[in-house]
Amino acid sequence: MTAVAERTSAEAGPARVTRPEPPTPPLVNYLGLVVVAVAAFAFFWWTRDDTSVLYLPLGVTTLWAPQWPLIGFLVMLAVLALCWFTRTGVMAAFGALTVVIFSYWAGSNIHFIDRIVEVPGRLTAGNTREQLIGYFNPDWSYLLFSNVAGTSRPIWGEWLITLCMAVVATIIGCFIGLLLAMLASPVSSFSKTSSQTVKAINSVVRSIPDVGWALLFAAFIGGTAYGLGALAAVLALMMFNIGIVAKLLGESIDAVDPGPLEAADAAGANLLQRDRVAVLPAVMPSFVSYSLYVFELNIRASAALGVVGVAGIGGELSRQIRRMSQGYENVGAILWALVIVVLLVDLLSMWVRRKLL
Amino acid sequence: MITFENVDVIYPNGFKGLDDVNVEIARGEFVAIIGLSGAGKSTLIRAVNGLVPYTGGTLTVGETVVDPKNKSKLRRLRSKVGMIFQQFNNVGRISVLNNVLIGRSAVTPTWRSLIGWYGAEDKEVAFQSLERVGIVDKAYNRASALSGGQQQRVAIARVLAQDPEVILADEPVASLDPPTARKVLGDLRRIQQDLGITCIVNMHHLDLARDYADRIIGMRAGRVVFDGPTEEATDTVIEDVYQRSLTAEDIATADFPVSLEDLPAEAVAGVVAGEPDRKP
Ligand SMILES: Nc1ncnc2c1ncn2[C@@H]1O[C@H](COP(=O)(O)OP(=O)(O)O)[C@@H](O)[C@H]1O
Ligand SMILES: [Mg+2]
Repeated sequence: MTAVAERTSAEAGPARVTRPEPPTPPLVNYLGLVVVAVAAFAFFWWTRDDTSVLYLPLGVTTLWAPQWPLIGFLVMLAVLALCWFTRTGVMAAFGALTVVIFSYWAGSNIHFIDRIVEVPGRLTAGNTREQLIGYFNPDWSYLLFSNVAGTSRPIWGEWLITLCMAVVATIIGCFIGLLLAMLASPVSSFSKTSSQTVKAINSVVRSIPDVGWALLFAAFIGGTAYGLGALAAVLALMMFNIGIVAKLLGESIDAVDPGPLEAADAAGANLLQRDRVAVLPAVMPSFVSYSLYVFELNIRASAALGVVGVAGIGGELSRQIRRMSQGYENVGAILWALVIVVLLVDLLSMWVRRKLL
Repeated sequence: MITFENVDVIYPNGFKGLDDVNVEIARGEFVAIIGLSGAGKSTLIRAVNGLVPYTGGTLTVGETVVDPKNKSKLRRLRSKVGMIFQQFNNVGRISVLNNVLIGRSAVTPTWRSLIGWYGAEDKEVAFQSLERVGIVDKAYNRASALSGGQQQRVAIARVLAQDPEVILADEPVASLDPPTARKVLGDLRRIQQDLGITCIVNMHHLDLARDYADRIIGMRAGRVVFDGPTEEATDTVIEDVYQRSLTAEDIATADFPVSLEDLPAEAVAGVVAGEPDRKP
């Protein structure tokens, strides 16, 4: 306060003009927002479940109200009031109100707050203590020296398989992803129709999650039981990679500088030549870095894919989780090793990226 | 060599870019096109190789009528018509030599381009082109690592590798500093004379046009409003093309990479007044 005062008195400053006031948003619109809040409150009241009720002593009488809808309504009004006093624009205030309404709606449907208050009780009541002790005392000798149950394959061999699956899936998936990205971007594709078609195919590929692909392939060609677990996993990871690379790289291609493309056109290059000499070099750095990213994802994803019965360390992890009642040390060892491997891959890909770009 | 007969260009949004243009350019001529920004210079030049499709009249290059609808015919035409751009339009991440080899695309089988394995004679042509523009020592440098003048020379070499009959240049020196602009334009002029190439060059600087061109075409609002040998392009004539009196900026040898005309009017007014704009 004093500093400001000194400043204004000490310096003559530039010629004073009246400084503009922040514009006041129209009150009517804010009242509209209050109406929206009331409507939301009415809806939440209507769909409430009466778990907890507030009694409001008003002197002459006592009113009751379902606790959560009322709190939600008060939060909405508070947000609107804050927006009004900070003279936030109507659209921004509407945005803030929407966030409150949606988080209330979504949270109340899954009883988020009701459930989360139970968590501390469950943590103290259950076997959390033994679990944590197990996880923090991983059994490294199991990881290094034992075999997969009922076979003569060592556990560390599963890591190798996981790594190999990731490598194969990354190389094939990224290559196909590159081709699809080229076909999907209107910049490099044959025509608008081909670009739209390939984009639609890409969306379908992307909309099925990696575990979904793994289930499908395990059902089609057979999983670990037939010795095809690694193949099913590789195919699933491949589809997963194709979706990611085609999407991200397609967007990079859309944003390529059109100048060199025009130069190639003007030199009489055909479409394939143009894509090769002008588009590919421009997106090569993005392609390399997306591929490395996808490789990291593959290592992580292969652990999750184990749950659906495919090969690699993920398979071993899901076996160990199923027999967790016999001890948590094995699961702990696998999880810690996973953290270390992912970190190493991360470092490696960072190093490659720096060298290459 | 190049004939415009009643050529019109109407852009997809309905804007008339060229309006009844009639021009005949002889083999080996060096023609400068001048006019204010938006006059239709780029449109005229791009109509020649079909980068902008013309919508009316007849446009002939050599013996062929330009047919914007026929892709393969257009590619054959483009193989003999090189184009140079203001922003050089080199592929920054590949070597100078590979940029020049893009000029060989039309005569290289697609599979060779795809695996990047060019034949010995293609490489020979590329090196000769680089020698002509005097940057053969940079052949294996990355194109993006060169200065503006060198980059435009790479672009000229790329065009020369096409063994062109016509070179189109859209403001080729507008991004270069004045001495470099003169050197590059001088090189282009010399090469054009040596090889007998027909050249159409867009410029917005009168002095450069007067120093290097055989003939000047003046444009305004999509029409050709002056066409004659350089000697006839007197200040009075050009003032008529520009529809305003010439400023020092138009003629001065000292040239700016960005001309004031390209800035929005308010910004220019602000700069002149020496103050940032302030709302009352
Ligand atoms: N793709 C386009 N669509 C619509 N109008 C265009 C397009 N390209 C250029 N124009 C218009 O055509 C006129 C001439 O443009 P241009 O030939 O680029 O002028 P110059 O090169 O002389 O500055 C300008 O008014 C411009 O706005
Ligand atoms: Mg232009």
